[in-house]
Amino acid sequence: MELIQLAVPVLLKGLWMTLTLTAISVAIGFNLGLGLALMRGSENPWVSGFARGYSTAFRGTPLLVQIFLIYYGLGQIKFIHDTPVLWWIVSEGSRCAVLALALNTAAYTSEILRGGLVAVPVGLVEAAKACGMSRMVRFRRIEFPLAIRQALPAYGNELVLMVKGTSLASTITVLEITGYAKRLMSQTFAIFEVFAIAGVLYLILNLALIGAIRLVERRLMRHTQPAAQSLAADAVQAV
Amino acid sequence: MEFGLLQVWEGGWIGAILRGAAVTIAVGVASMIFGLIIGTICGLIKWRAVFGLSQLVDLYTSVIRGVPELLIIYLLFFGSVEFVTKIATAFGFAELADAGYAFFITVAAISAISGAYSTEVIRGALAAIPKGHIEAAVALGLPSRRIFARIIAPQMLRIAFPGINNVWQTTIKDTALVSVVGLQELMRTAFIGAGSTRNPLIFYAIAAIVYLMITLISQVGFNKVEAVLSPRKAS
Amino acid sequence: MKLKVLSLIALLAGAATGAQAEGQLKIGTEGAYPPWSMADANGAVTGFDADVGNMLCTKLAMECVFVVQAFDGLIPALQAKQFDIIISGMSITADRKKEINFSTGYAELANKVVVAKDSDLAGITEIPALLAALDGHSVGVQAGTTHAHFMEKLAPTATLKSYGTLDEMQIDLANGRVDAGFADASALQSFLDKPEGADFQFVPVNITSTYDPTLGEGIGVGIRQDDTELKAKIDTALCELIADGSIKASSEKWFKMDISRPCQ
Repeated sequence: MELIQLAVPVLLKGLWMTLTLTAISVAIGFNLGLGLALMRGSENPWVSGFARGYSTAFRGTPLLVQIFLIYYGLGQIKFIHDTPVLWWIVSEGSRCAVLALALNTAAYTSEILRGGLVAVPVGLVEAAKACGMSRMVRFRRIEFPLAIRQALPAYGNELVLMVKGTSLASTITVLEITGYAKRLMSQTFAIFEVFAIAGVLYLILNLALIGAIRLVERRLMRHTQPAAQSLAADAVQAV
Repeated sequence: MEFGLLQVWEGGWIGAILRGAAVTIAVGVASMIFGLIIGTICGLIKWRAVFGLSQLVDLYTSVIRGVPELLIIYLLFFGSVEFVTKIATAFGFAELADAGYAFFITVAAISAISGAYSTEVIRGALAAIPKGHIEAAVALGLPSRRIFARIIAPQMLRIAFPGINNVWQTTIKDTALVSVVGLQELMRTAFIGAGSTRNPLIFYAIAAIVYLMITLISQVGFNKVEAVLSPRKAS
Repeated sequence: MKLKVLSLIALLAGAATGAQAEGQLKIGTEGAYPPWSMADANGAVTGFDADVGNMLCTKLAMECVFVVQAFDGLIPALQAKQFDIIISGMSITADRKKEINFSTGYAELANKVVVAKDSDLAGITEIPALLAALDGHSVGVQAGTTHAHFMEKLAPTATLKSYGTLDEMQIDLANGRVDAGFADASALQSFLDKPEGADFQFVPVNITSTYDPTLGEGIGVGIRQDDTELKAKIDTALCELIADGSIKASSEKWFKMDISRPCQ
């Protein structure tokens, strides 16, 4: 009990860092991933080839290797050291973690979104073309909304994996939940208790995330529900 | 910083990295096999909705899927010792538990993770088997063991195969995490090399390439098997 | 086929952790803390800790097997019976004594802070002034060490960066990611002697356990609490090695000075 009183406030300090790491890297990674997914559809073999190679490289190697390569590997290159903007990114563990996580999730996101884009019925796109919509408008109004609806469940899984991935930032001096848990472990040696509490924190965080995704999913799929039920669902959400 | 590949070669690191890669593959394959066994049992429990057990399986998969792998490894590695030693001794494997402890606990941790993901894949595959096939087999009076061997297992394997491929890719990458607790696998070797030669860039780059080779080559193998398993196209 | 796979796994497991035999003494050590404990590509361990371990094994007529393990995992792994003793430059502290037993202390070293030559900390000569000046600076320490606990307690306003190994901390010092490093004098001296340590220097302050007990009472061999028989044997052997000058000779080889501690 005493241990819980000691550990929970410390681990909650780490929770904030875990949330920040996740939010920033997901925001960057989603946009990169979207770009890569569009590149995959390009008719230029170099462009689509780059996107495919990127995705293979980042999905084929462990995140831990990517984090170490960015933190310790890039820190070693003189050019990066001498370029203030690059050094600003690489000089701090948390920024390296964000960079690694963002690049990693971009690869997975691109695969998920590509799956969604491929599933958009050709007829709908042709109809939009026939209506005279420009490429941008077509993408914004037809392809993207349909693709995201299709991709949402898989993207939800990816978000959970990202929350879990932030724990690796502890290996490069970042104090998030796992980093604080390790510090507590070497102070108290109460290994099981400390890691169990940390585990519960992650579990709660991920369950909340999954719940939020389900709500979004329900909202996006409103059109498949009978009208009355949809209203009821909205009412429940409003409460 | 004038560190070239030559120094990696002369320091005997190439051999060390290859040995590390062998340990990584051994851990990955062993964990995948145990994970599939766990996944098949738990998947069947969930598919049949066995009361009580099914809820336990739900708890197991949501905990593993919701908690970072790194934490699970720390917890099992440092927290489970007495327990594992007792079990191993009870089954007469005291020596084994002693000698290969790091390997043993690593495989246990990665299998537990891999098993949770396999459970979902297998459950999904079982659910996708047409009910009529099983009903027809029951109507023919086949004993349940033969229904499993002849009807359920072959279809399950074929449907689950792409999912199993994904689980394998995740499993082999998860083995990198056990480097933090000391098993001398690929990542750990790169880590020691990076520290002692002060050249992290080249060591982590080599590690990345070796992992990529493992995942790419196994991918080719999986694709071949998948082609064999997929139903023959009518000519 | 199954048998083949199993025996291959057993073989690899053996290769990875060291096969078990009668009369072996398994020693947990960090392997990344020069000149105490350094592991090479083949897993062979050298350094002062390795010397002490080998001398102990000779005295006890046992075969030494070194197991390399991150420092902050050494005590849990000892309790996990992954090895029999810890020899890894580990200070004897009150907190650690709650978890494991220690042999008599066999060595003692002063601790120092290392900074860049142009740092505003470089000229400080008093411990309290140094601790106060660390406010707002980042200090690198190794996770789970007495140095980490010392800084957590006495410089709470400094940004503490914990590294798994001292090698990583030194890479970061050289890269300019961390303002100061705190460790024992010998480990930091080996950093200053390297090319990447050329722009660094010691803050001219010796920080010893007399200033604060978090720094412990010398370096000892870590032993499980229920291994009283082993502790008695190791204490006797260590006292003999200290008395006949073997520990002194080895420390002079690695540290260029005598860091042995009289047997108590």
